[in-house]
Amino acid sequence: MDEQRVVKVHLENISKSFASRKMIFEAVNHVTIDVYKNEFLVLLGPGQCGKTVLLNMVSGLETPTEGKVEFIDSDATDLGFVFQKTAVFPWKTVMENVEMPLELKGVPKAERRERAQYLIDLVGLNGFENSLPKQLSGGMKQRVGIARAYCNNPQVLLMDEPFGALDAQTRYQMEEEILRIWEQEKRTVIFVTNNIEEAVYLADRIIVLSACPATVKEVYDIALPRPRDYVDTEFLRIREAIEANTDLAL
Amino acid sequence: MKKNQIKTRDMLLSALSILGLIAVWFLVSNSKPDFFPTPMATIERLIRLIEKPVMKISILGHVLASLKRVVLALIAAIILGVGIGLFMGWNKKVRAAINPILMALRPIPPIAWIPLIILLFGIGEFPKVLLVFIGAFFPIVMNTMSGVALVEDMYLKVGKIYKANTAQMLRHVVFPAAMPAILAGIKIAISSGWMVVVAAEMLSSKSGLGFLINRGRDSYDVALIMVAMILIGVVGALLSAVFTLIERKLCGWMSKE
Repeated sequence: MDEQRVVKVHLENISKSFASRKMIFEAVNHVTIDVYKNEFLVLLGPGQCGKTVLLNMVSGLETPTEGKVEFIDSDATDLGFVFQKTAVFPWKTVMENVEMPLELKGVPKAERRERAQYLIDLVGLNGFENSLPKQLSGGMKQRVGIARAYCNNPQVLLMDEPFGALDAQTRYQMEEEILRIWEQEKRTVIFVTNNIEEAVYLADRIIVLSACPATVKEVYDIALPRPRDYVDTEFLRIREAIEANTDLAL
Repeated sequence: MKKNQIKTRDMLLSALSILGLIAVWFLVSNSKPDFFPTPMATIERLIRLIEKPVMKISILGHVLASLKRVVLALIAAIILGVGIGLFMGWNKKVRAAINPILMALRPIPPIAWIPLIILLFGIGEFPKVLLVFIGAFFPIVMNTMSGVALVEDMYLKVGKIYKANTAQMLRHVVFPAAMPAILAGIKIAISSGWMVVVAAEMLSSKSGLGFLINRGRDSYDVALIMVAMILIGVVGALLSAVFTLIERKLCGWMSKE
């Protein structure tokens, strides 16, 4: 894997603090990360810490107080974002939700429908094109979110604890699904979670972040072949090694 | 019990309570039928009214006269209320500038405007529509504003990520997200407008249901007053039922939880 590492996104010494009435809250403190092309990078860290803030800065939703985000060979408009809770629009059908990024760009209807249909099929929602989100389960809604993120044809996909709100069984299923989709449509993924097992299952590389303010604590390359097995001895060994080194107490 | 059975039971109960109300009316009116007409006398009066128009306007004509004033005022109130409310909810500066005016004017009941509006605009159609507009505008503008201001941050973020411009943001995200609140405001406006139109017609009018009530008072025709009152209630209930259907059509996406 090493020989092909091309940097896709470069985070240069990023810091972010928020000023509230009397105190300054530091969310991210001097983080430098290289994200490689088409890798599945997991940012692992305790809840309530600056992971989401870090992701928001990559996406441009927030600007760093210090440092900068650089996209190599692409720009921030080539982004897809899968949100924590389902940020699927309840007033749009599955099809309308998925095609929305292209509609905003002014892509003609026939063309964007074709692209959206391909993605709806890819995430396994064939037959639900005209359903409203209220008719879908939590896992299915998150599939819509993933298809929508892909519809923009992004170079970089950002995922902010997308499976955090799902029950355990659906979560395992979705972890499998996201890898299947990603194998088929390779993109650079930055995936945020506080779940070690999820991180080891998904990642090419895990960056462990410390609690507030977030700093880079440890980096792990996960070379296990896919599909991975949650109870494989090597899997458990890596998991325990990270656990021993990380304080994920929430 | 099955769903169907429960529905039948509830409808039966509704019918019974209406019958009960009519029974009480019957008992009360029976002791002094000259002073307070019985249900039968009221129905007779309604039939007479259909046969013999008041002011050369049929009963349906009076209902339509009131409805026309309400509908005209509502259209204006929806256009202005939703428009201004959208701007106020979207832009904090606009809100800061306009909110004090609304806060000062909103507590004044529409009826309190009547003398001023009659002095300024006389007793034609326009002042009546204007009064109804005053009653309908405030709930719409307030609800639209808070609906827009309370759009979930998450939805706005999605729009921002995919680089929606302001017009796209309003059309795809803000407007649909605020739609339930806007419709709730319009619903309040309809009932408030319907109340105001009757009051306006009672003060100065030659047509409409409020006028009929006044005519009944002036000619000591209590049955006519009762007929007009019942019609006001029935038409008001129909208006709100029709609007509930529209609401369901437009906001069918809302989940029941």
